[in-house]
Amino acid sequence: MQTGMQARKYRLQGAGLDLALPYLMLAPGLTIVLGVLVYPLWDGLRASTRAYRYGSPVSHVGFRNYVQLWSDAQFLNSLWVTVKFVALSVSIEAVLGFALALFCLHEFRGIRLLRTVLIIPMVITPVVVAILFRLIYASDAGMLTALSEAMGGGGVQILGNPLNAFIGLVVLDVWEWTPLMFLILLAGLQSLPHEPFEAARVDGAGSWRVFADLTFPMMRPVLAVAIVLRTIDAFGTFDQVFVLTRGGPGEATRLISIYGYDTAFKFQQTGYAAALFVTIGLVVLALAFSAIRLLRRIDAS
Amino acid sequence: MSSVLYQKVVKSFGALNVLRSLDLAVPDHKFLALLGPSGCGKTTALRILAGLDMPTAGKVFIGERDVTRLQPRDRDIAMVFQSYALYPQMTVAENIGYPLWIRGTPEAGRKAKIGEVAAVLEIGHLLDRRPRQLSGGQRQRVALARAIVRDPAAFLMDEPLSNLDARLRLTMRGEIKRLCQRLSATTIYVTHDQVEALTMADFVAVMHGGELQQMAPPIEIYDRPANRFVATFVGNPPMNILPAALCEQGVIVAGKVVPLDAARLAACRAASVAEIGLRPEDCSAAGVATPDALPGEIYVVEPMGNETLVNVRLEAGNVQVRAGRDFRGVVGESIGVAFDPANACFFNSDGLTAVHRVNNNGRVT
Repeated sequence: MQTGMQARKYRLQGAGLDLALPYLMLAPGLTIVLGVLVYPLWDGLRASTRAYRYGSPVSHVGFRNYVQLWSDAQFLNSLWVTVKFVALSVSIEAVLGFALALFCLHEFRGIRLLRTVLIIPMVITPVVVAILFRLIYASDAGMLTALSEAMGGGGVQILGNPLNAFIGLVVLDVWEWTPLMFLILLAGLQSLPHEPFEAARVDGAGSWRVFADLTFPMMRPVLAVAIVLRTIDAFGTFDQVFVLTRGGPGEATRLISIYGYDTAFKFQQTGYAAALFVTIGLVVLALAFSAIRLLRRIDAS
Repeated sequence: MSSVLYQKVVKSFGALNVLRSLDLAVPDHKFLALLGPSGCGKTTALRILAGLDMPTAGKVFIGERDVTRLQPRDRDIAMVFQSYALYPQMTVAENIGYPLWIRGTPEAGRKAKIGEVAAVLEIGHLLDRRPRQLSGGQRQRVALARAIVRDPAAFLMDEPLSNLDARLRLTMRGEIKRLCQRLSATTIYVTHDQVEALTMADFVAVMHGGELQQMAPPIEIYDRPANRFVATFVGNPPMNILPAALCEQGVIVAGKVVPLDAARLAACRAASVAEIGLRPEDCSAAGVATPDALPGEIYVVEPMGNETLVNVRLEAGNVQVRAGRDFRGVVGESIGVAFDPANACFFNSDGLTAVHRVNNNGRVT
């Protein structure tokens, strides 16, 4: 009797603990996720439906902030600048990264050192990169101006000229993020099987045909992932522009992130800025989803 | 089709000599098996012929052409890889047609040829699939189809059956042999499986340590091995080797005098023979009291169904004996191993075969 009751007691304790244990283990992580992810998201969504004055909510406006965005010329312009920036940078980075990865696939003296050197830009803090480029671009004592004067030319206007500033920004982004493309694509290339390439050489393919018929099709999924990752990331570019041009001259380099920042902190329109970022978030999310679906289709075919 | 010739081909990776001066000639229309344990240089030899590796020294000819420095695509060869090496993103039809497509064969001719080889290999119903939707055996057939779709100077096969399961390997072995006979194609076939080499090839080239040990038709490789390595590598279970000391009437093996006839004794003396080699099927289990039998005790008994392999521990080492399926010995039992000295090979101290067996069960040697 005694032992039977004890056994039952222990079993109950054991069962209770077994049931509670997973939740206990999950609690810390869940708290953090709720605190730093879910709550801010919720707060942002709430803010986007309100009007603010001097940083405090004054009235509920429903979806008016969202509607207003689409008749805001500055917003539309910053969206256009961002799309141009992302499309241009990411495609240059993809082509350059792929070319470098193909080159670094060959084994030759110094290849390890070269591979290491090539990934340095992406490990430097973005703000530092921007400061570096400001020193290069500066019209009075910048490196480009110095070079140009040494060769007998005049001063070079980069950050003062709308087109040049935009190109300068793309160059910066390409410099900083081509290494990421390179790294992902090199890993992808290195994981491809050797034999099909040897088979193709025996079957009669030259290097261009090997690339077009084998390398590229086999690399398509990796390339797609790399491009999606970079695109999502590039949409959020902020610090480099903030340091380099603050969005100028005029609105030439005013990316959506800079415009949102200005709206929130310069013009104190917290609700409007929240609506703007929620919209951009949705756009990026939609982009990512369609990219993943595209990937699945490539994978299935 | 063309003959293939290796002329003093050397391949080294740094200090490692993978091939040391390989001389090998494959006659036109013949099937040569390159046989050897892993690391013997057989795959390297094939890759050099394919142009995938460059020899450190020496020359390679296909037909009359010196192809040593040519790119693989300029050598007019077809190759089947161990891992099949199909193009994963192409359909089966595209895979098979690729060698034609790359050479600019018009679509109509290509389609006809693809259909033809697909029919030969019975993969016509798979043409729209992709490699990963195929089983191992089907992939193997596609790889073969891609190789025979053209009419190259030579076929190169690098262990094409080793990724298949045992049963499928047996079937494909026969099919590849039939296919090669039908095409009458010069074929170089790399394998570590002696059964494949012996059953399929017109000639077997046995390699070891980067050197060619012997090249001969399969039966001759089996009956007249050039040296101790070939003798023990080919044959399953392998040839038994025992130390043999010369004496007045013959040789002393495991403490017993084995009498030899005058001619063989003279030959053994001249070569200062040190070892005797006996195929398991040339040995028989005998009563322990049999006069000329070597005395020993049963170590392992392995019934195979059609026969029984008996491992006998002699004073001088263990020997394998092929006994009948009705063998009923028990481990630890005393037993005699009988053999006819005319069936024995003799090796001198550096492993070369000094004296071959004379009695070949009716075969001419």
